[in-house]
Amino acid sequence: MRYDSVTDVIGGTPLVRIDAAVHGLRNIDLYAKMELFNPFGSLKDRAAWNMVRDQVTAAAERGDTVVELSSGNTAKALALIAGMHGLPFRSVTNRMKVPEIKDLLLLLGARIDELPGRSECLDPADTDDPLTRMYHTVSASDGGYLHTDQYFNDLNVDAHAFGTGPEIIADLGGRVPDYFIACVGTAGSSTGVARALRTHDPAVTVVGLVAQKSDFIPGIRNIDEVHEVGLFDPGTYDTIEAVSSDEAIDGLLTLIRRCGTLAGPTGGGAYQGAVRYLRTVDATLTDRRTAVFIVCDRVESYLSYLRERRPELFRLPARAQSVHALTDDDLAAAHTIGVADAQEWIDKQTPLVVDLRSPFAYRALHIDRSINIVDDLFEEMLHGGLPFGRRQPVLLVCPVGEKSARYAALLARMGHQDVRSLAGGVIAWRDAGAALVRD
Amino acid sequence: MPFLQPRVDGELRSLLDDHAWLHRMVDALGSPVNLVLPGQAVENVRRFRASHRARHLGGHVFFAHKANRSRALIRRLAAEEAGIDVASLGELQSALAAGFAPERIMATGPKSREFLWLAARAAVLVNADSVEELTRLAGIVETHDLPRVRVMTRLSGFPSVGTTVLTRASRFGVPVTRLGPLWEALARHGDQLDFLGVAYHLDTVGLPEKVAALEGCLHAMDEAARHGLNPRAIDIGGGFGVSYLAEESQWEAWTTELTGAVLGNRPPLTWNGHGYGLRNEGGKVRGALSVYPAHRAVAGPAYLDRLLDTESMTLRRPFGTLLLESMFDLHIEPGRALLDQCGAVLTRVEEVRDDGHGETLVRVAGNSADIALEQHGVLMDPLLVARDRSAQPDPATASPVGVYLTGNLCLEADLITRRKVFLPGRPRPGDLLVFVNTAGYLMDFSAGNALMQPSARTVAAYRGHDGWQWCLDENYWPVTGREETA
Ligand SMILES: Cc1ncc(COP(=O)(O)O)c(C=O)c1O
Ligand SMILES: Cc1ncc(COP(=O)(O)O)c(C=O)c1O
Repeated sequence: MRYDSVTDVIGGTPLVRIDAAVHGLRNIDLYAKMELFNPFGSLKDRAAWNMVRDQVTAAAERGDTVVELSSGNTAKALALIAGMHGLPFRSVTNRMKVPEIKDLLLLLGARIDELPGRSECLDPADTDDPLTRMYHTVSASDGGYLHTDQYFNDLNVDAHAFGTGPEIIADLGGRVPDYFIACVGTAGSSTGVARALRTHDPAVTVVGLVAQKSDFIPGIRNIDEVHEVGLFDPGTYDTIEAVSSDEAIDGLLTLIRRCGTLAGPTGGGAYQGAVRYLRTVDATLTDRRTAVFIVCDRVESYLSYLRERRPELFRLPARAQSVHALTDDDLAAAHTIGVADAQEWIDKQTPLVVDLRSPFAYRALHIDRSINIVDDLFEEMLHGGLPFGRRQPVLLVCPVGEKSARYAALLARMGHQDVRSLAGGVIAWRDAGAALVRD
Repeated sequence: MPFLQPRVDGELRSLLDDHAWLHRMVDALGSPVNLVLPGQAVENVRRFRASHRARHLGGHVFFAHKANRSRALIRRLAAEEAGIDVASLGELQSALAAGFAPERIMATGPKSREFLWLAARAAVLVNADSVEELTRLAGIVETHDLPRVRVMTRLSGFPSVGTTVLTRASRFGVPVTRLGPLWEALARHGDQLDFLGVAYHLDTVGLPEKVAALEGCLHAMDEAARHGLNPRAIDIGGGFGVSYLAEESQWEAWTTELTGAVLGNRPPLTWNGHGYGLRNEGGKVRGALSVYPAHRAVAGPAYLDRLLDTESMTLRRPFGTLLLESMFDLHIEPGRALLDQCGAVLTRVEEVRDDGHGETLVRVAGNSADIALEQHGVLMDPLLVARDRSAQPDPATASPVGVYLTGNLCLEADLITRRKVFLPGRPRPGDLLVFVNTAGYLMDFSAGNALMQPSARTVAAYRGHDGWQWCLDENYWPVTGREETA
């Protein structure tokens, strides 16, 4: 298929049936609306493009900056669209909580402004919060900003009322699903789809999913935060339920491992929330029903989020030559040497002095003629074997002599014959008045 | 019920369990009574020291005196492995009088000439706020022929890496982008000033800002060494925080209820529908909740641990490791966090009445300057201690009542809580309301002599050989009278 612009590829995503053997519902056909197939990777592509499409040419002529309060998919889509039109993009956010997304935005050329944390010694008279101040700055007309204002912008809803929603109806052969389940961030997608579905058939049940309060699922809000959202209207939803990050990850794993769908956490949350809700309904049914949930985006941006919450999913095989694999006997056998003896040894035998501290600390002060191999790097080298001859005398140096003793033990276990660890480390060396240099 | 029950543990818990003792104190000394527990402060110092020790780091814990003016607390700390951060001439005198050795006193904040002179004369560590202050100090040292003074310099305006972390502008410190004049002044006054290193104190709960500041300090230390100085310590100030509430779920429930109340979805939870920074604009919540985060998952020494375990973005090692490897001492100045669980304010209930609009008002003998919860945005319930043990409401069976607490000043604004406080039962005159964990800033931070109401007596409680003992704050010294050597 040929297109003139990548923005023409936005929308028109497939609706894919989830195998009943996976979800276990007997009377309900469950479909995933695959928003992860949008060109920039998420359902926010639709909202982003719809919010700027009619203004972007004029904004480019004025040289405006596109600005949005977003630390996720909307920022990503806007950054790409802004780049296509030669405009700078600036994202304002409370906190960049997902490092991959932050890095990606920087790669796309976005500027990211993080708002300050709360004051520790509070002045309750200061109700002028930084977010409100920022909001006023970027919303001023002629201020040099094209502020897309996704939490209040009806064009965000329209993108789904005229896109996502009608597509679902068309793909179900002109019928509205009995249940529609979606996560709520700006509420744009759930509100827009719900509107399209209800217009066609008011019988549809709409379930909104929010994050549990102390929990965090990137892209969606918790039950208090939704009340700050301009587009959020409680009347849109027949029911609002909370999902935990644990459930979202369980759902994500099911979609990834069993359904060939590389869903991100909110897709997982929507799946898990949908199945949890539908299971009770299913038990009372005698005829067939259909349900649709949204898979908002892809998993790749959330690897560190997953690693933090489910480290066991990323278990690495243990490596052979590692300081973590030393026994107490290995450690007891390590040779250490005090400052005075070490000075004498250096004068007589000129051992290779290896300083295991960071280059930053080494650069500031170190033992004359030592070389710097930071511990992580040294460990990496040892995985491959001894980096020097086994008879080459070596003095290992670290801050207090703890790490260097472990490495001395490891080298000895690997067959090195003359390795010693500086007892008390470089701190003992300094405290004894021995010379340190800065090159 | 939207309770916000305080966390009470350690020594404080044991002391507050003795209801008869609490009543005897108020009967003898009048209401309110400030209670301080020097022993708990010592325990808190020990916990902060453990963070250092676990990482082999040198450096000291300097208690930020401004958090409480009790003499007992600082006399006891003077006897322990602690230093003190003084921010005024008066605080410096108080620290010297409490027995702190000058090496363990650090003078911070903007300083008057007199403050600088006494600091230099007593040979305490001076944490300078500006280059001008350093120059003035050098002049005082030279003119009065005083010994060389150990100094640090507070920095501010730290840049961030990758993203732009917007920080609250600080009135204090030398901007890191303009360090040239600092190095020049330190070089020029090398005979008067012995430069130990750089410092920051940030008034924020946000870790990213502190990470940016610590990163900036490390780079400034490098720059100092390149200018021929021998820097060897970084001071990261205070702001480690306290978690006031026992249960996170209560904090979450209450903030959700407040959002509902602001939107008009439930009856108000606050006096005159006060929103604590939140407001209703066309059915949407706007603004930001402007209160202290009363439940914090990570606070105090754990917050320090978190900071030290964070990896520097530019140097790619944890800060704790970088400090150790660079042989830098790490100084900290905890105020609030060092006084966690170190005190309480005891107040007597004077009157309980219904205001005719469905609200119950409880007036205590004490006012919002004695109990500065509202001023500092700390939301937590007091404990009810009935006069009569048999009348003590049993949380399992009693029905809670929501009340507003008013003070003894004849001022409309003298509300001790603008939040409706839920007590396990309706209090009666003569009962006590105990405001726990108030030693850090909340006790008598701004108490004066308004309307000539009595100001609170402060009492130090400590463990003697047969249980709890007490004395007036000013009479407390860390000696037992049984120190004879064999
Ligand atoms: C990953 C992800 N999922 C779900 C949503 C929620 O969509 P909406 O903003 O339309 O409510 C968002 C929106 O930011 C998102 O980024
Ligand atoms: C320079 C300095 N250090 C330390 C503190 C103590 O802060 P905290 O009580 O939050 O630990 C303060 C408080 O204002 C301060 O200004």
